[in-house]
Amino acid sequence: MCLTSWLCSMRKRPSMPRKVSRAGAWVVGFTLTALALNGCASIGVKPWERDLMAQKAMAVDSHPLQSAMDEHIYFSKEASSGGRGFAGGGCGCN
Amino acid sequence: MQLVNKRRSNVCRALAAAAAGLLQSTQANAADTTTTFESGVLYYKENGGRVQAIEPSVTASYDFGNQHRLSLGVIYDSLTGASPNGAVPSTQSQNFVTPIKIGSTKTSVTSASGGSTIISIPPTPGQLAQAAFGRQYTVDAGKLPVDPGFKDQRIAANVDWSQPMFEGSTIGFGAGFSHEHDYQSLGAHTRLAQDFNDKNTTVSLALNYEHDTSRPLGGIPVPFTSMSPQWKGPNDGKNGVDAVLGVTQIMNRFWLTQFNYSYSWSNGYQNDPYRVISVVAPLTGLPVDNLYESRPEKRRRQSLYWDNRIHMDRDVLDLSLRYFWDDWGVHSITADISDRFSFARRWFIEPHGRFYHQDSASFYKPYLVQGQPRPANATSDTRLGTFNAYTGGLKLGWIPNKVDELGLRVEYYKQVGNGHPPGAIGQLAKQDLFAQVSAVSATLSYSYGF
Repeated sequence: MCLTSWLCSMRKRPSMPRKVSRAGAWVVGFTLTALALNGCASIGVKPWERDLMAQKAMAVDSHPLQSAMDEHIYFSKEASSGGRGFAGGGCGCN
Repeated sequence: MQLVNKRRSNVCRALAAAAAGLLQSTQANAADTTTTFESGVLYYKENGGRVQAIEPSVTASYDFGNQHRLSLGVIYDSLTGASPNGAVPSTQSQNFVTPIKIGSTKTSVTSASGGSTIISIPPTPGQLAQAAFGRQYTVDAGKLPVDPGFKDQRIAANVDWSQPMFEGSTIGFGAGFSHEHDYQSLGAHTRLAQDFNDKNTTVSLALNYEHDTSRPLGGIPVPFTSMSPQWKGPNDGKNGVDAVLGVTQIMNRFWLTQFNYSYSWSNGYQNDPYRVISVVAPLTGLPVDNLYESRPEKRRRQSLYWDNRIHMDRDVLDLSLRYFWDDWGVHSITADISDRFSFARRWFIEPHGRFYHQDSASFYKPYLVQGQPRPANATSDTRLGTFNAYTGGLKLGWIPNKVDELGLRVEYYKQVGNGHPPGAIGQLAKQDLFAQVSAVSATLSYSYGF
């Protein structure tokens, strides 16, 4: 039920904000939503319900090499870095 | 029950590794194997004869038992092409002269190809021997000034070790090394992860220290001095510390969510030693000088990152958001979405989209005006300007068994910035002052285990 509520709330959200200040509020909104969902009684799974979580595609970084390649490209072309991992690029490309 | 425990430990191990953002092959099914390999080749090409790169990489991971895992990774980059030097376009052709190392034919003649010529320069007081020559390239009227001599190789390696520490906790540590002919980076990292709530929640903390050395061809220029072929100052560098605090939560059988807060602090030489900023005449807007850029020596970066993986029958949806800010004035938001759709038992297709918007650094200026007070710092690097970036791509994958995977991904990346800022002076009003980037990339990847 938590997932359904979340997906429904996604559809009601406005399109991508133009200003970063609004974007920041947007992210915080998502965060608060996630924290609120922690109140759901059904949060978490029992050990015998982890079949889908055991799939490779459900790992938080299922393709670390590809992620590293992406991060390298974006680090060399944009001012932002990090988030998923460390912000330092380890190279002189920016 | 043993199988269940294996799966639980695999999930937790994957969460800990991803929180640290390391090149670690900790996959859910990897527990069935002791050795895993991830390999890939990236081909990247920008439009207009700009940067082109080939990047092969491989990561090997070996499990010594009881989740004691060693990972080794190697990446090689080869880059060629032309790179914007930071100067503005002009209605007149422009000449640029940079240092060159005579005596090392591999460095000088090769990198001078593609529109550059080697010139001799008259001796000046205090000049070093290498400065008797320079590399000159000419940019035609109306064209974006790019240095055609851009050529670089990078080799990077990393090693990582992870193991259980106490009940429900994991510790890991490692080191990284990256070497280019004009840049070197050394780093060390560690991380801790602790499971809670019957392993539905994982809290992790990762720390990284990095020491970088910049040793550009021609030496380190003094900020706001004129571009010249003269041999300049000695090497310089910077130190950086990163921390990532993460919480990963299994929300339900279908939904995994992760939230990270990242803090990064760096101090030292942060300039691009090859990049200049034009000084233009106050009425005509014609360039009269090109000065080496100047950035602050300290930078504090922070970000909030939220990632969600949602399993929907044959689809796995990945949605992430990031809000980034730093004390240079840069603010950005990133939204990234991909949907992995399985079909025909062993195949999947994965469309990917990414939107990125950043506001410029406070000291970003397309140019300086002659006679006006000079700011403390200034750069014309459009990577520190305001722009949107869009990525669209598609991946096709083949899964011969539950561990191995072959994938081919093709993507298109485009930056859109305002090339005609209000108040542009004279001829600059007719020029595109944002170095637009569009690029295609293709990645062939293969992972396997035994």
